[in-house]
Amino acid sequence: MRRPSGVIFLFLVTALMAGNAGGGPRGSGSEVRTIALTRVIRIPVSALSVQESAELQDGDSANLAAWPGAADEPPEGPNGFDVLDDGSFLISDPLRSRIAVFDSQGKFRGAWKIAFAADSITVIPKGLVLVHEASTGQLHVFDSQGQPHPNEGAALPEPAPARVLDSKSGTVSRLATGDAHGGPLDVRFDIPGLTLLSLQTLATDHEGNTYIALETTAGGEATDAINLKKYVRRYAASGKLVCEITDIPLDYYIAPVDELRVHKGIVYQLMTTSSEVRINVWDTN
Amino acid sequence: MRSCRYRLLVACVCLALAPLNHTQTGVIARLPLTRRADMVATARKLAAHTWIVGEANLRASCARNYRSDWKPGQRVTGIPYSWGGIDGPEAFDQKLKKGLAAGAHSRYGVLSCTTGIDCSGFVSLCWGLSPSGHAYSTSNLRAIAGKPKDNWFTDLKEGDALSKPGSHVVLFTGYNPDGTINVCEASGSAARVICHMTTWSRYKGYMPLRYKNIDE
Repeated sequence: MRRPSGVIFLFLVTALMAGNAGGGPRGSGSEVRTIALTRVIRIPVSALSVQESAELQDGDSANLAAWPGAADEPPEGPNGFDVLDDGSFLISDPLRSRIAVFDSQGKFRGAWKIAFAADSITVIPKGLVLVHEASTGQLHVFDSQGQPHPNEGAALPEPAPARVLDSKSGTVSRLATGDAHGGPLDVRFDIPGLTLLSLQTLATDHEGNTYIALETTAGGEATDAINLKKYVRRYAASGKLVCEITDIPLDYYIAPVDELRVHKGIVYQLMTTSSEVRINVWDTN
Repeated sequence: MRSCRYRLLVACVCLALAPLNHTQTGVIARLPLTRRADMVATARKLAAHTWIVGEANLRASCARNYRSDWKPGQRVTGIPYSWGGIDGPEAFDQKLKKGLAAGAHSRYGVLSCTTGIDCSGFVSLCWGLSPSGHAYSTSNLRAIAGKPKDNWFTDLKEGDALSKPGSHVVLFTGYNPDGTINVCEASGSAARVICHMTTWSRYKGYMPLRYKNIDE
């Protein structure tokens, strides 16, 4: 009987090739980790009827509120969020004119009755929170307990400017933060058949890691409608691509204003469906 | 026999299509000729229109469950969102003076006692269409707008639209160096007309549309 050495050899070669294909996107040729979805936090949403929409002052409900929309009017509801230092979530509940607070497991903790519809929330240093009023564009300052600080001047942090250079590359002008010096960051995107569309800086942490969202074409056959993919990448201060998230869903029921947030190396995505708010979580640490 | 049937079928199809094509051509011939720069100027004018909320503009006499998006005395920038509405700045100011409610959402129904504009009304006005009758919605904009054959991600031009039939439509106003895009829209969630920068992912499932009577 022949020894199956040929089969073993083939198996090893195949395994090695599969390992390379799985790890490396995208230009650098080195080991780039692909981060799988770590967990999903689910928060119930109540779809309102016409009658209920008249009684939206109930500020203590644990459920968030959504309006399903109508012909020529897309659904409305939670479209802004951010993450506090303790991992709890602030989620806009515009139809109830409040910010709802949930712990890191998605349990309702209370609500800030802000008396306006908010569509974006940004946690900034010093324990402050900037809330964007949807109907005026005005920014309101709160502390992390929901107390307003009307005299506190605050501005949204400026994201590092980015530029798409061609269908495969772009550059980000990193800002100096903490111990990191900043400077240009080259972004390469080399997946055959896909084209780089946009670059957006999500965050730069104190160690100089930069988190970037990339939008690309979806590949495959042309369709009647816009189709695309979204990636989030983490680059080290040295400019090395460390890891990548490739499974970001984009089938939004309510289009988010705050689509992605990064906090302590964890990437969060707000995905509101007709029955729940899902916060998709990828831990890049 | 088979050839005869085939000819009959072709004749029937031609007869059926002939009036349709004629009607289509007629519709397009009647469309106003509009320059792209004017489309964007109209969009910005609607987004920049400033008005003050009066006490009377907070109440809609024809709707029992109406709740205003505004506060008395508030200074607002942007024509308010009103589902089913197609008011430009002049019509809006007149109706505001008459005491109509400023803006409304679909949850209150199409109301005769409110003033403002909805998403398809907004794109219609930008394209130079008459505000009378609100003839076009996201479901029939295709009758007056074609699908651009260019690369949608690089070759759209200002004044094109991104539309999701039955849901929403926005006016495209340009690309940014980082690959994101600029749009203007009558937004229900913002309660008014706004112009802003956004990402492509927000428009997954939308179809680009190009008005058929552009003065290029």
